[in-house]
Amino acid sequence: MRRRTAALVGGAALLVVLAAAMLWPRGDTVLHLGVFAGSYWGTPNGSSYQVLDDAIARFEAAHPGVTVEYESGIPTDEYSEWLADKLLAGTEPDVFFVLPDDFGLLAETGALAPLDGLMDGENGLDRSIYYDACLQAGNYGGSQMALPYESAAMVMFVNRTLLEQYNIPMPENDWTWQDLYAICQTIADAQPDSADRDYGIYGYTWQNALYANGATLFSADGEQCYLADSRVEEAIRFVQTLGSLDTGYTVTAQEFDTGHVAFRPFLFSEYRAYQPYPWRVKKYSSFVWDCLRMPAGPEGGNTSELHTVQVGISARSLYTRLAWELLCTLCADETTQGQLFLQSQGISPLRAVTENTALLDRIFAETQGTSTFNSAAIGEIMRTAVTVPQFPAQEQAAAMADTAVSNAVTNNRSLATTLATAQRQIDLYLQSTG
Amino acid sequence: MMKQDQILRTLRGLMLAINLVLVVYYSLLRGLTALRISGSFSARDFLASAKQVPAPPWQMAVLSLGLFVPLAALILGKDYLPPGRRGLRAAVFTAEILLAAAEVTSLNFYYRGFFLMVLADLVYTAQEKYGRACIIAVLTVLYALADYSIASVFFSEIPLSQYLSYYTEFYSSWFSGVESLLTSLHVLLFVVFLVLLFLGQKAENTRVHQLNAELQESYRQLQEYADKTEHMAELRERNRLAREIHDTLGHTLTGIIMTTDASLILMDAAPDQARKQLQLANQTAREGLNDVRRSINALRPDALEHTDFAEALENTIEKFCLTTAAKVTYTQNAGNLDFAPDEEEAIYRVIQESLTNAVRHGHARNIEVRLDRFGETLTITVRDDGEGMAPGKPEGFGLRHMRERLELLHGSLEYGNRPPEEGPGFALTARLQPRQKGEENI
Repeated sequence: MRRRTAALVGGAALLVVLAAAMLWPRGDTVLHLGVFAGSYWGTPNGSSYQVLDDAIARFEAAHPGVTVEYESGIPTDEYSEWLADKLLAGTEPDVFFVLPDDFGLLAETGALAPLDGLMDGENGLDRSIYYDACLQAGNYGGSQMALPYESAAMVMFVNRTLLEQYNIPMPENDWTWQDLYAICQTIADAQPDSADRDYGIYGYTWQNALYANGATLFSADGEQCYLADSRVEEAIRFVQTLGSLDTGYTVTAQEFDTGHVAFRPFLFSEYRAYQPYPWRVKKYSSFVWDCLRMPAGPEGGNTSELHTVQVGISARSLYTRLAWELLCTLCADETTQGQLFLQSQGISPLRAVTENTALLDRIFAETQGTSTFNSAAIGEIMRTAVTVPQFPAQEQAAAMADTAVSNAVTNNRSLATTLATAQRQIDLYLQSTG
Repeated sequence: MMKQDQILRTLRGLMLAINLVLVVYYSLLRGLTALRISGSFSARDFLASAKQVPAPPWQMAVLSLGLFVPLAALILGKDYLPPGRRGLRAAVFTAEILLAAAEVTSLNFYYRGFFLMVLADLVYTAQEKYGRACIIAVLTVLYALADYSIASVFFSEIPLSQYLSYYTEFYSSWFSGVESLLTSLHVLLFVVFLVLLFLGQKAENTRVHQLNAELQESYRQLQEYADKTEHMAELRERNRLAREIHDTLGHTLTGIIMTTDASLILMDAAPDQARKQLQLANQTAREGLNDVRRSINALRPDALEHTDFAEALENTIEKFCLTTAAKVTYTQNAGNLDFAPDEEEAIYRVIQESLTNAVRHGHARNIEVRLDRFGETLTITVRDDGEGMAPGKPEGFGLRHMRERLELLHGSLEYGNRPPEEGPGFALTARLQPRQKGEENI
């Protein structure tokens, strides 16, 4: 009996000692970083790891005994799956990049550690160094779950060659829906009845338009849908009207690439990637092109939707504090962000970097001198940009709204009634999931 | 009974074994499936439908097996618990229930049979009715709450079906089949265990009833015996009364007879003497009457009632001298005569009876009464010069009662004719060890 007890106690003690030995930190602390290769923006980027390696070197110099490791060569389109694999296997990195499409999922599943405590604590962060829309991208249910690393705003590509052909002057950056409609109408009116014709615009959706009309689809907390809002309805009608100029024809990307379309919404990163030589020659060689801010609706401004690549900390990381400092080195350090702004195609979420004239001069020195798009416009875009709020049911609710709108448009139903009905359904859905 | 215990323990061991198999089964299924999914390009879909990041694949195995070891140790080790020690037992029982709850939690509520096993085990071990009821209530509630659909409200866990959906229909139904086979087997064992336990309990109840009947019988016998004892006490009391009557009335009447005999003889020759003798007889008769009254009242010598013992003895002897023709020499060498009432009475009666015997049977002229003390022992010696005892004559009533009285006080009595060289006569020695004051006679 006594011997049995002694054996049990001994066994338990041995287990404790073994566990302690396994968990005791030995030598260097290794922080793992999850990162994808290349640019998220789908644009060529020859030196994707350069900025990262430099930032890591500075971080390691400031933190002796800590090394940062990352697995290189994970393509952007496989990164989501790679990260999910790691999460499932329980071996996710301490700090990892979060793609815009993944943020909702990662925040909802609890993979990301909330950062509010760290931001407000010692070695914290002043939220005002970021553009609001950038920081908003990492907000989930009222908590900051990730910090912005790099953003790209929606801008309007313009085929200048085509405009000149029709004697249309290049619009200003503060142009409106009316300006856009007038140009498209001019082009449509000038068309002969042949197959080889030109078009006003391609790929402009009601979602692109509604932000420029001062509307949003969902409340920030994800509890309400504003689909039946008059501004949303206006945006839908405007896109519908624009589409009717094409007299039933559906314009394709091919036609834009070959120079037959005047406007196309694109991410700003695309502009930065293809504007400088030699890429410019490779992509759209048949025409001269430029970009503008999104056209303003009657109720709004020249507002763009923002896409942001973020970096977050694993909720299961054992080194939250070190991870936070690495996160700051990547996302809040002006050296890192300045380098990134120069080498990548995005826009820095840091106000101080994006509005640094010396940097902007270096960037725009590479682009065509005639561009109406300049450094002042970038700051303005970022200040006015919006981020679609992220919440658990966002993906599904957005899909429901999209279906409702396309049904209304194609079936020629009363738009206001359809939108009101859809909004009620989506609200019910949001309440049931919230 | 022993065999039943062995069967129950074997069943419990089997339940433990099945639970171990299930722990391994769930851990492996959960862990390996997660690893497989993570290597097969469906991890993101899995996360999207599971809506949460599952714990690392090894966690369930480590936790559930880690908890299983102390739980099994408690279940098996409880047999060695010392009986009694209610606090310790309650602590061990609580620990077992908590471990079971932790085990079920560590298995993500996929399986809750641990509560059944612990229920069976604790009901088997617990003896108190109240404790059993508590255990059954607590574990039933836990079992009900641990239902996956209820528990998942409080603990968001990825359901097992989510993992199983990764496999094809064929494999997932195989996995489910194995699972339900094992859990059903466990439930079956649980039911058999309880049925056997309660059947055993019923047998025990019958045994208790039987024992109760035996107890009743013993009680009846005891009652009978008590009646007998009472009857014997009655007899003894009757004997005592007889002795008392003999002692008092016999003594008095002997005195009266002798005095009146003397008066009859003296009546003509010396009427004054005769009158004196008659007066004495009268007095003796009155005292005798008093004695009888006292016997009826308290059965205690009147002389002893009012006066101290030494004085009472002297009075009696003096009165005896006056009422009979015999001459009594009284020597008191025993120091302070302060004894317990029953001892005093015995000594008094021994002397009184001896004096009466000496005159009545021995017709003695001279009687010697001595009280000596040798150490703890008090010796009463009465010698006379009478005719002594006729050889072969059985012990008389008086002597027998004297002996009985003394023996009740752990004393002894010796008597017989005096040795021939001393001349005729009868000698009697009573020995007695008076108790210390406060010591009770047993």
